Amino acid sequence: MRAHDDVLAGAGGVQESHFPALSGPESGFPELPADGETLLEVRDLRVRFSRRGRHVHAVNGLSYRLEAGRMLAIIGESGSGKSVSSRALMGLLPSTATVTGSARFAGTELVGMTEAQMRRRRGADIAMVFQDPTRSLNPTMRIGTQVVEAVRAHADLDRRAARRRAVELLSLVRMPVPEQRFGEYPHQLSGGMRQRVMIAIALAGEPRLLIADEATTALDVTTQAQIMELLVELQHRLGMAVILISHDLGLAASYAQDVLVMYAGRGVEHAAAETLFAHVRMPYTRALLGAIPLLEREPHTLLPVVPGQPPDLSALPAGCPFAPRCASADEQCAVDPPLTEHEPGHRWACWHPVPDAPAPDAASGDRS
Amino acid sequence: MTASVDAGRHRAGPAFLTSPGMRLVGKRLLLAVPIVLGVSILTFWVLNLIPGSAAQQLLGPEATPAQVRALELELGLDRPAVLRYLDWLGGAVTGDLGQSLVSRQPVTDLLGERLAVSGELVVLAFVISLGLAVPTALLAAHRPNRLFDRISMVVSITGLSVANYVLALLLVLVFAVQMAVLPAIGFVPLSQGLGENLRSMALPAAAIAFPLYCFYTRFLRGDLVDQLQGEDYVTTARAKGIGPWQVLVRHAFRNSAFGLITVVGLNLGSLIGGTVIVEQIFALPGIGQLMLQAINTRDFVVVQACVVVFAVVAVLANLLADLLYAVLDPRIRYGSR
Ligand SMILES: Nc1ncnc2c1ncn2[C@@H]1O[C@H](COP(=O)(O)OP(=O)(O)O)[C@@H](O)[C@H]1O
Ligand SMILES: [Mg+2]
Repeated sequence: MRAHDDVLAGAGGVQESHFPALSGPESGFPELPADGETLLEVRDLRVRFSRRGRHVHAVNGLSYRLEAGRMLAIIGESGSGKSVSSRALMGLLPSTATVTGSARFAGTELVGMTEAQMRRRRGADIAMVFQDPTRSLNPTMRIGTQVVEAVRAHADLDRRAARRRAVELLSLVRMPVPEQRFGEYPHQLSGGMRQRVMIAIALAGEPRLLIADEATTALDVTTQAQIMELLVELQHRLGMAVILISHDLGLAASYAQDVLVMYAGRGVEHAAAETLFAHVRMPYTRALLGAIPLLEREPHTLLPVVPGQPPDLSALPAGCPFAPRCASADEQCAVDPPLTEHEPGHRWACWHPVPDAPAPDAASGDRS
Repeated sequence: MTASVDAGRHRAGPAFLTSPGMRLVGKRLLLAVPIVLGVSILTFWVLNLIPGSAAQQLLGPEATPAQVRALELELGLDRPAVLRYLDWLGGAVTGDLGQSLVSRQPVTDLLGERLAVSGELVVLAFVISLGLAVPTALLAAHRPNRLFDRISMVVSITGLSVANYVLALLLVLVFAVQMAVLPAIGFVPLSQGLGENLRSMALPAAAIAFPLYCFYTRFLRGDLVDQLQGEDYVTTARAKGIGPWQVLVRHAFRNSAFGLITVVGLNLGSLIGGTVIVEQIFALPGIGQLMLQAINTRDFVVVQACVVVFAVVAVLANLLADLLYAVLDPRIRYGSR
């Protein structure tokens, strides 16, 4: 079924004929937000997994702010707490997890909500798209039924209205011939099409924040680009904020407005994408980016492997958790550096920030 | 463009009979033939190995060698075993399973009524056990390791460790002797009223159903919890904001049901064998009782027929499970890419 993706790739930009006008008033999607309105404010978020007396501190004082309608990329090594911290926002962690701290969504505190309160908000405030579209859809249920279920979770619609809405959502994610696709099962679709279904499900409750947790990692490069274009387009059309969790630096640089770098369950550097990639301050981010300037990279470069071991989350030492792997570390790093705004709009947690690289033309002169 | 892409897709409906699921069932059906043949050959061979001639057994120890010889000739027991087997097979294929050596009645007549009794027993046990196991497992999996789950765990483990006949005797002791609400032995045919018939079947069906109930509950509860904790589609369902029962029943149970169908199919086959002891205890005129009587009287023709019936039922039960699976699982129904 790869052919479907190619059809869309060949079509290039937006095909207006494919979708009904969904951002109009009758769609029910929220009006585009005012600039700078805080949608999500995470403060000192902590997640601890406890099992048989052993504790894993997966998230350790994560703080960030996300404005409505923006796309924030969260990057970091595997195990740095990207997934756990975002699942905590939706109450989707197993019962072994204890969440503390604060996460306010449009002014409402999410931490400490009961399961019933949280359930009413899932899908309606925050929705999520996961990495593996093959495993994320129920293999025994028609895709239409799965979308309809999401539609009816939050809207009191009868069957026919819910079905109509589900078909609309499938067109919105540019599923070709959605009425026909409606009755098919997930295994009859390509990976890219399955991920479109996942996005349609996520959009069903008209969320103001969509979390895409490695949503394109399992797809081939062409499909990956199509899904990313779709996410960006939906972000703008629906005025929806997006958290893009990714291993792919190229993805973060090309699509996100803001970038948050996570290490050992906390934020270590946070800035607008241009700022962060032009003026890397945190040695860990530097290591993630490697020595090569970003522009020289092939598109869709995966994070290079940072030398050394990630810290043991069951016994975090005092001080900066990156110090054991850091070339600039000294005795000052025994004190944990806070994530502070050192330059306008640029926050980092380090006592020894990396100075700016030489001017770009000097660098290109070196290479030639 | 999109239309041409879609034209090449295969759809359900008329193509159903050639679907991969149906091919699977066809293959299984072909495999069933050698299985039933093998069982019949093995039984025939083992029955022939039993020392002493059947004629001697039938006539008793005082019979003269001449009498024995005459009976052997009459019953055709003097002919080579291979020929006798082929004779039997030829008859069996046309629905003639021979005559009982003892009563001289056609074996098919003997089997007919008794199969109905055993069949009713098995179906009742099966309906009771599954009908109770599904809600129990759902309730237990809804809150794993909480009170209800723990109690059901203890009940199941107890039930699985108690032998069938011990349970049967306990049931008789409690319901027939102490409370005197149900008959301990005897069978009332359906022709004398459904109520009386069910009352006579209640204790034997319960004796067979209880261990099955325990097993199905454990199996289904475990599979449901695995689905709930380990499967991504469950997280997707929860992330939609639907309620926990909807996640459990519409998503997890739907997937766990496939495992359960397979287990039930395997079980149903051995279940008919499990009726032998219970029919004996409750004096039910079923096929299990018939087989035990036939073994005692060395009525090999009847024993042979009973064993083959058990084999056919086991094979058919598995086939039925495959068929259900093929009908229910879209991945098999429509084939995988
Ligand atoms: N259910 C769980 N029980 C115990 N530890 C967990 C669980 N889920 C995640 N973790 C741990 O939490 C840490 C962060 O995981 P995660 O957020 O998935 O990382 P990533 O940044 O790769 O998404 C990892 O060390 C992981 O082993
Ligand atoms: Mg992850």
